[in-house]
Amino acid sequence: MIAAPAMLSSVLALAEGPLDAHAAPELRWAGLALLLPLASSVLCLLCGWLKVRSKLPAALTIAALGGAFATILRLQGTVGETPVVVNLFDWIDLTWGDGSRFHGFTANVDLYIDRLTVFWMLFVTGLGTLIALYASEYMESDVGKGYTRFFGAVSIFLFAMGCLVMGGNLVMLYLGWEGVGLASYLLIGYYFTKPEAVAAAKKAFIVNRIGDLGLALALFLIWQCYGTVEYAALWKAIEAAPASSEWTAQAIPWLLMLGAFGKSAQLPLYVWLPDAMEGPTPVSALIHAATMVTAGVYLIARMFPLFVVNPDALAAVAWVGGLTALLAATIGMAQYDMKRIWAYSTISQLGYMFLGLGVGTTFGASYHVFTHAFFKALLFLTAGAVMHGFAGQLDIRKLSGLLKVPGFRLVSVLAVLGCFWLAAFPFTAAFFSKDEILVSAFTAKDDRVHLLGWIGLLVAALTAYYTFRVCFRVFFGPVKFEPGHELHGHDDHDHAHDAHAHHGEFHPHGPRWAIRVPLVLIAIGAILAGWPSYRTMLHHDESNWVKTQVAQSSAFQGVAAESHGSLDGHAASSHASAHTEDAHADHGHLVLGMDAHTAVGRLGSLACIVGILVSLYVHLINRGTADALRRTLMGTVATRWIVVGAERKWMVDEFYDWVIRLPLRVIANILSAIDELLLDAGIVNGIGALPAAVGRVFRPLYGGVVQGYAVTMAGGVALVAAWVIWIWLRGAN
Amino acid sequence: MNLIWASILIPVATAAVIAVANARAARGLAAVGSLASLGALAAFAWQFPAWSTGGVSPEPGGCAWIASINATLGIGFDSVSLLLALLEALLIPICVIGSWSAITDRQREYYGWFMLLHASILLAFAARDVLLFYVGYEFTLVPLLFIIAIWGGPERRQAAHKLFLYTFLGSLFFLGSILFVGWQHHASTGLWSWDMGTLSSFASTRLPANTQYWLFAALLAGFAVKVPLFPVHTWLPLAHNQAPTAGSVILAGTLLKLGTYGIFRLALPMAPEGGAALAVFAAVLCTVAVIYAALICWVQTDAKKLVAYSSVSHLGICMLGLFALNPIGAQGSVLYMINHGLSTGALFLLIGMAYERYHVKDMDQIGGLAKRMPVWAFFMVFFTMSSIGLPGLNGFVGEYLCLFGTYIATGDASTKYPGLLGPGFALVAGTGLILGAMYMLLLVGRYVFGPLREPKADSHGKHGHDGSHGHDAHGADHGDHDGHGDLTGREVGLLVPLALVCLFIGIYPKPILQAIGPVVERTLAPYPAAVERALMSKPQATEAVQAQAKEDDRG
Repeated sequence: MIAAPAMLSSVLALAEGPLDAHAAPELRWAGLALLLPLASSVLCLLCGWLKVRSKLPAALTIAALGGAFATILRLQGTVGETPVVVNLFDWIDLTWGDGSRFHGFTANVDLYIDRLTVFWMLFVTGLGTLIALYASEYMESDVGKGYTRFFGAVSIFLFAMGCLVMGGNLVMLYLGWEGVGLASYLLIGYYFTKPEAVAAAKKAFIVNRIGDLGLALALFLIWQCYGTVEYAALWKAIEAAPASSEWTAQAIPWLLMLGAFGKSAQLPLYVWLPDAMEGPTPVSALIHAATMVTAGVYLIARMFPLFVVNPDALAAVAWVGGLTALLAATIGMAQYDMKRIWAYSTISQLGYMFLGLGVGTTFGASYHVFTHAFFKALLFLTAGAVMHGFAGQLDIRKLSGLLKVPGFRLVSVLAVLGCFWLAAFPFTAAFFSKDEILVSAFTAKDDRVHLLGWIGLLVAALTAYYTFRVCFRVFFGPVKFEPGHELHGHDDHDHAHDAHAHHGEFHPHGPRWAIRVPLVLIAIGAILAGWPSYRTMLHHDESNWVKTQVAQSSAFQGVAAESHGSLDGHAASSHASAHTEDAHADHGHLVLGMDAHTAVGRLGSLACIVGILVSLYVHLINRGTADALRRTLMGTVATRWIVVGAERKWMVDEFYDWVIRLPLRVIANILSAIDELLLDAGIVNGIGALPAAVGRVFRPLYGGVVQGYAVTMAGGVALVAAWVIWIWLRGAN
Repeated sequence: MNLIWASILIPVATAAVIAVANARAARGLAAVGSLASLGALAAFAWQFPAWSTGGVSPEPGGCAWIASINATLGIGFDSVSLLLALLEALLIPICVIGSWSAITDRQREYYGWFMLLHASILLAFAARDVLLFYVGYEFTLVPLLFIIAIWGGPERRQAAHKLFLYTFLGSLFFLGSILFVGWQHHASTGLWSWDMGTLSSFASTRLPANTQYWLFAALLAGFAVKVPLFPVHTWLPLAHNQAPTAGSVILAGTLLKLGTYGIFRLALPMAPEGGAALAVFAAVLCTVAVIYAALICWVQTDAKKLVAYSSVSHLGICMLGLFALNPIGAQGSVLYMINHGLSTGALFLLIGMAYERYHVKDMDQIGGLAKRMPVWAFFMVFFTMSSIGLPGLNGFVGEYLCLFGTYIATGDASTKYPGLLGPGFALVAGTGLILGAMYMLLLVGRYVFGPLREPKADSHGKHGHDGSHGHDAHGADHGDHDGHGDLTGREVGLLVPLALVCLFIGIYPKPILQAIGPVVERTLAPYPAAVERALMSKPQATEAVQAQAKEDDRG
């Protein structure tokens, strides 16, 4: 609440801010970033039509995505501090009356290109290309079957994600929003003969739809309050009338939040994401870990001017993020399926990002999105490689010592590397991004969120524990493994349950280049993601690249005070660092008697190392301890719930089932019965029986259906005529 | 004008030729006739001058029909009716060609009736004379009855009976109302006129508010059955379920649109005071329908019945947009009429195609057909997405604008069009988005995806098939061609035009919205004032009641 006036003044400073967009028809080529994936999805459709039985669809997709990445790279060189709007073609454009404000609704296919757009698209298209390359080998057992469908859907996904991020208005964003939902539906349900996959796909779509409704309503409200849904015009309108106390203006962030929580799997709408792991692993890596799920973060960052005027909404975002991070981490600690653990870790990390947004650091959130995209893609893809090699085995109790298995050394090393990143080990990229978020939590002007800093640190320890639980169980220790049930890659057949019995000795097959190369490149990306922070650390240079990208966009108010100085320039470093001192002095928040940065850095490192050490002991040095502990906890009624609860995901799915789905189902059945019996049989057939009864008297006339109707029709006309005459007579009086 | 008459009379002539021609030629003749009709209408649309003006072309007037009461054969289109007529003309060839394999007995009669049905629907959309509209509107029942009662499912008699009874009762209200207006016009001016424009301007300006109230109520009652609005929808699921595929397609595609079109064309312009007074009542019915029907859909096991109920839910949203009484909602509503025709029509067509192969629609017995028919599955998913309003496809634009219009239909006059609904209605109806996804994905999840389940008792075309599927992990995917093969070229040819139109409207709705816009503005012209009065009268009425109550207390 205290923060409101200060934030308001920064909103008012928008006038000379970087948000005054201008049209740039010369940048129409930027549309290629959307067009190429779209073209490749159409070509994939064509391949399906022609029953292509080669890897052509993969080649097309990789080429198109690579092209899109190149386009974005070129855009990165072109785009300046001023956002530009590129109109591709008109989509929805309604006007009435004089067509002025509130007398029209415009949502064209425009691109809104600023630094945030480009930043987001860089890792979306970059990772998209690499993961498509990975998938070209991973999915090869499906060549001629679902291969085309797979790459078609991946192309649709990249197209939709492009619309979401690059679209120039909220309806375009909505198009992308639902479009990625479709792609996700198609890809989760890729093994469409598997009931679990179909159910998971349906669940994902429907839970997302709940969020989408919030987004749709928010759009209506935004139009109602500001008369436009186009970003460029919207910023102007907000600038003119920053904060209205009307409930309509106040409700906007809450509804946007609902949309964001749906897509980014936060409480209470996170339940779809763990199930989404039914899809092929590259899909999990691309969509359900690295890119699509960050759309919610993007939405709030993009719409930050609407959030910043509503501290209550921001606090809610922070708390939802923090609690989601905690909840997902506790579940992640007790799962046995490697992919599922990574899925919960994704939810948990997304929680951090929302925590960051809520405490007002769009930079921290975006930076964490960026670092997370790489290491999470790496973790999923290595999990996929393991799954691919060990016939679908993902149970961490049945895999051990993979570092020593020939063919899996590279994969294992990269996975262990990924674990360090996920655990935010000191001086990894994620350490810095998480640090940024936690510092902001401790130093936030809103007192209600300080506790979240401590929760964040606790989660950091839990994260380190469960991450290294997987790491030590699967990649270290003695070589021991049991193959899974899918001996022939990932066929969607369901009769191979005892197949491995016939294969006495199982030989895991290691991945080839199309899997190895993207893995290595992504690992390099994960390392380089920390580069901006290393620069800051070594050269005391505050011009963090990510910070600049975020600062020169509509999210700039969430970039910590120090970077405001560099808003106008690229690297006014001395100026900026002078600012930093002031900024910290301004905050005046001490954590355990230390400056917040120092404290969080030390506490974060400590949390991470403690988590790893505990893990090291119970999962590597003395593997029996974990089971013993579990048994002890299970033994006492007072503690039993901890284990059962965490292992069964705190029964949230069951809760939703019982509280929402089941009652709805009962109501629906009752309504259906009412509709068929009461309304239909009782009332309507009752009335319907009348003419039949009359007809019985005139049986000969009512013999055939049609003659009967002809008579009824004539009778009806006569009746109406009589009625009209009666009215006429009455009127004559 | 000649082209309009050509598009209406070509099917009539075709029906006549079919009646005397060889039975085997019937289906070819019907296809040619319906395509010729489409061609004539398309040619008319090509040179249609009023796309952007909102006017009617050709100008009102026409040769005398019943001279004594000055009823004319006045026909003409504005862009809304022309778009709906084009939808009809597009769907009919698809229905006819789609019936080639499904209808094997009494083909001459079947195609003959279909041609007459087509002519009467086109006549209804083209009519500018209310009596002529009534004739077209009412005559659709006769061919439809035959089509359902002869070529329908096992309960076809009951379905036809109920359909007739319901819609006929509804029509009585409609006929009574227009006769009343015509008579009032005569009583007031001494002249008979049945021209829609004349009667609308007469009724909206000269009839007192109270009369307009009852007029609107009667017209709404009449058309509500056809739409169908809750709670007079119960004829629809049965009729759909029992009708042959093509019958369902045309029923969902354009016959229901006669009801929505009637409200748009007659009820709203004739009685603005009534429309404003009853908008909230109608909107409540629509909103109830959205949720009620959606929940019922969700527990259906019969694929066709599910889609049939979904029509009730969808048209609830469509009508809600109309009763928002602002250009956004009304434009969305008209677009929704077209979209619903396309996507639901296509879904019925697809279910019909699967039914032809398996003779089962019950999802407890059949499912996972994607394994057998991937192309069919592709279209099924495509049109499902269109139906649940995925952006980029047609359904989204209409649905979104309907809800948007509803949302901003508050008393606030800054949009120039104050309304009576507002966020509450949009929120409740908006849950239709979620419920829509729930039941449609249930359909897709069980019927299209999931493990393959085929009816056991069915022996159609199972040559050398041992009944055990999927044991061979590698071979199962390719599907064995045992008579349950994928879509034929003809069937794909029927679906592709629909899919392309859906895609076009989804990606580039601008020309259509621009065409609808002026007509909508014209129709809604009297509404801002009428709504203002309705808004004013509400508190006054309450005050009056309170004052009355106080007086009663004193007394």
